[in-house]
Amino acid sequence: MDGIIAASFLRAIIEREFMQFALITGILVGLLAPIIGSFVVIKRLSLIADTLSHFSLAGLAIGIFFINILALPIGDPLYIGMAFAIIGALLIEFLRNYYKNYKEISMPIVISLGTALSALFISLSGGFNSSVYNYLFGSILTVGLNFVIIISITTVLILTLIIIFYKKIVIVSFDESYARLLGINVNIFQFVTTIILAIVVSLSIETVGVLLVSSLMIIPVAAAMKIGKSFKSTLFVAIIFSEISVLFGLWLSFVFSVPSGATIVLFNVSILIFVMIFKRIVNKKNIKQKQSIESL
Amino acid sequence: MRLKVSNLSFGYDYRTVLKDISFTLESGNFLVMIGNNGSGKTTLIKCILGVNRVPSKKIFFNDVDITNFNKWIKIGYVPQKFDDFNYEFPITVNEILNVSKYSKVDEEEKLNLLDQMGILELQNENINNLSGGQMQRVFITRALMNKPELLILDEPTVGVDHDNVTRFYRVVNDLNAQGVSIILIAHDLKASHANYTHVMRLDEGKAEIISSIDQETLGDEA
Repeated sequence: MDGIIAASFLRAIIEREFMQFALITGILVGLLAPIIGSFVVIKRLSLIADTLSHFSLAGLAIGIFFINILALPIGDPLYIGMAFAIIGALLIEFLRNYYKNYKEISMPIVISLGTALSALFISLSGGFNSSVYNYLFGSILTVGLNFVIIISITTVLILTLIIIFYKKIVIVSFDESYARLLGINVNIFQFVTTIILAIVVSLSIETVGVLLVSSLMIIPVAAAMKIGKSFKSTLFVAIIFSEISVLFGLWLSFVFSVPSGATIVLFNVSILIFVMIFKRIVNKKNIKQKQSIESL
Repeated sequence: MRLKVSNLSFGYDYRTVLKDISFTLESGNFLVMIGNNGSGKTTLIKCILGVNRVPSKKIFFNDVDITNFNKWIKIGYVPQKFDDFNYEFPITVNEILNVSKYSKVDEEEKLNLLDQMGILELQNENINNLSGGQMQRVFITRALMNKPELLILDEPTVGVDHDNVTRFYRVVNDLNAQGVSIILIAHDLKASHANYTHVMRLDEGKAEIISSIDQETLGDEA
């Protein structure tokens, strides 16, 4: 039975264009999300991805409103969603400077504003429909060629930026004061990073949906940091976990016709739980070994 | 190297911390700063490092006004605490050193430094598994790696065991002998094995320079 399902999945990938698009999108997002996510986790900014995705939803809702109600030819709502993610990033930066000693205040303010705008424009556009549902929970199986091109270009650009500025990004993430001493303009750096994060967030929405974007970035990293011995190995393990989740999630989403966001994230969480149990067993074994050595 | 501080006063909000401080440090000088907590030692260091913004024409490094200065790698700094470092995420000693390298340092020089600091065998260790003292030596190695002309050390041996304190001062004294100028903030001058040339005592923001003093006498007095 499983064999038949797996075979039909593979056949669909070979034969159906939409499956190929989904696969490419999944692999690229699966690569980008944990890389960006690592820096987000190190800087203890895990909530920022959530905030940006909620704000991006407001843009998507306004996009749907423009198309469905005002009949404006604006193309894909994705562009407005992306613009809103960037506006959200600017807002967060502004508020973080405004409340210097209470930087975290910026997140709930921006999340609330985004959610309120989303609720308003979703209801003005005639309430819940399938495109809203897809934006909330992900619809990797419906992405088109246009999106595949956008995400491919973005991936290449972002990876190039990361490779060029690797040293600076790592030092700013781990040790901001030292980066300042080296004369690195930390503020500009942080700003650019937030903009990149906003772009990745808005692109990931197609894959896992607004509500689950942050988990795509954070969970593989959370699992990998418990296993990794070095920064590079942690990053590598996070990418592997992320890609495994995307591929299996895509397969489950195809087989059971359920939202890809749900299957991908549930697979991610399963890996995290597995890692936690595995770590516990290894630690216990180490303690036992130590005790038996000491008793000799 | 030439560090010149002239008539520097500095304060936070309404509180004046430093009052009219002037001194000049030349190549090869080794200045030890002593003074009670809150006497302004760390504030002065932060002014020199450009962290505290000072008015122009107050601090000069190699005759360049610190407000226009941009060759910060020439000043190495090891803070007292590393609270700002984001721990817990895995990164090895080597990785952190490699991303902190902003001047030409070949692999052999780096390994030599690690060896001098007694942490060569830790180079591939995850930094989160190190003890406080080992961590400190990693950060000192990092400061030395960029070949600073001036090295500023803020109570560098707090929490470091005796053997490693001795080892640490051996490295610092060697560096100083090679021409690197040093500013060392010390709580206990007697416990340090520094071959200093000058001592500055800060008291309520005022600096008193005691030059070329006899180490023995001061050691007893402090």
